[in-house]
Amino acid sequence: MRDQGLAADAPVLRLDRAGVSFGPDSDVLADVSLSLTPGSLTFLTGPSGAGKSTLLKLAYLGLRPTAGRVSLFGVDTSRLRRKDLAPLRRRIGVVFQEFRLLEHLTAYENVALPLRVLGGQEKNYRDDVVELLTWVGLGDRLDARPATLSGGEKQRVAIARAVVVKPDLILADEPTGNVDEEMGERLFRLFRELNKRLSTTILIATHDLALVRKSKADVLRLADGMVMRVPASAEPKPEPKGAPA
Amino acid sequence: MSAASSPLLPREDAREAALFFVVCALCFLAALSGLVSRSAYAAADSWTSDVSGEITIRVRGDDAALANAIEITKTTPGIASARAITRDEAEELLRPWLGAGGVPLSMPLPRLIAAEAAPAANAEELLRRLGSQLKTAGLDTIVDDHLVWSGDVRRSIDLAGLVALISVGLLGATGIAVIAFATHATLLARRDIVEILHLSGAQDGYIAGLFERRFLMLGVQAGALGALLAFGAAAFVLYLLRQSVAQIWLLPQLSLSLADGLILGMAPLVAGAASMTAARVTVMRSLSDMV
Repeated sequence: MRDQGLAADAPVLRLDRAGVSFGPDSDVLADVSLSLTPGSLTFLTGPSGAGKSTLLKLAYLGLRPTAGRVSLFGVDTSRLRRKDLAPLRRRIGVVFQEFRLLEHLTAYENVALPLRVLGGQEKNYRDDVVELLTWVGLGDRLDARPATLSGGEKQRVAIARAVVVKPDLILADEPTGNVDEEMGERLFRLFRELNKRLSTTILIATHDLALVRKSKADVLRLADGMVMRVPASAEPKPEPKGAPA
Repeated sequence: MSAASSPLLPREDAREAALFFVVCALCFLAALSGLVSRSAYAAADSWTSDVSGEITIRVRGDDAALANAIEITKTTPGIASARAITRDEAEELLRPWLGAGGVPLSMPLPRLIAAEAAPAANAEELLRRLGSQLKTAGLDTIVDDHLVWSGDVRRSIDLAGLVALISVGLLGATGIAVIAFATHATLLARRDIVEILHLSGAQDGYIAGLFERRFLMLGVQAGALGALLAFGAAAFVLYLLRQSVAQIWLLPQLSLSLADGLILGMAPLVAGAASMTAARVTVMRSLSDMV
């Protein structure tokens, strides 16, 4: 774990009255303030269209706020030059609902991608990548291309890719959205293990309320362009499957 | 054991095949323009150096007048040599227009003298002096030093060279524009990959490098094929020209030389460098618009 420029209890991610607007009367995020402490595991919930993905995009520097401030590892990102974004991004791992694996690469190559981008020699990282894929249960699918993997397998490859450089922060956008309930719980256990073993700070955006209630983790609820901290138990119980609407 | 050997940018078969064809065609045309331009210069050099220093005198009158004119010419300071052009030589000169045996014996041919100026002679002054002496001797002559003709040839060739140079420039600019457009299209089509690379911590230069290498290879390969086709076309044209004696007489210097080899060899290198530069500039500019 790296800790350059970050005091022990300084927030890993901090949003101060951050807003994102795509024009007049089209605020996606109005006035969001939040802070993630190092080693925390937090869920971000809220109705569809509340802006969960936009908030994560702000956090992984895929979008600049139109108002307020976003700080990562104690660095105000609004003051960063373009070339300084890459070193910061290397401290963040991102997992998407739709996996975003490179279809022409194998599972092994997808996971090794961040190391390859950093200029690592394959002989130096090969064992780590294989070990990581084995840890997520894909030790026998190294050469499989994404098209031949199931949704759960793809998401595990995406998680392995996100953690291969041992990031300080993992942002997951609906990581269980495209997998069944059992696989969703299995994926969450991976996140939980990462959080406990490596003290990686994790923020998971999800509308899987059953998972949130079971996790007993911190919960941030996003609604009407603003975010508030709520206990996990405060999230409403999901409707049982097959129940009338 | 797995290895991270796959290229990070996947091949775009249909789009790249079309781009390859366009770059290849542009290189073919550019290389051909270069070859034509160089051959034209070489031909002009040959023609003008052949006639420089040569003076032709046409004598109206009988054989005595011709002999008198030769004598006066020979003794004029600045003239290295002078001799009469025989009827056979005159017929040979007319052969491209009238064909072999096309000059009837009854047809009178002008009496001509071929003279050569000494290397250090001032052409203008020599012609004035020679013309004056022939006139003083009462001879009806026309002195032609080919300067007007060779000047016209040189000007025409210079103009053709300029047109060829502009053509090569336009073809090059078109190639760069096409590659820039294709790079931009590829970048947009592969925005997902670019985003994942960014999220993996890649700097813009790293991403631009991927596109640069891709288009460098495309440019070099398409340029090499275009140059090869241009060589084939030039060789075919030469072969056709050599079937015609008259044409070869008109274009004495048309042949593939070391300079042509250089032009053909340069085509893939220039195409590769232009492709690489166009790709880099386009990608860096496009990435600067992304977050």
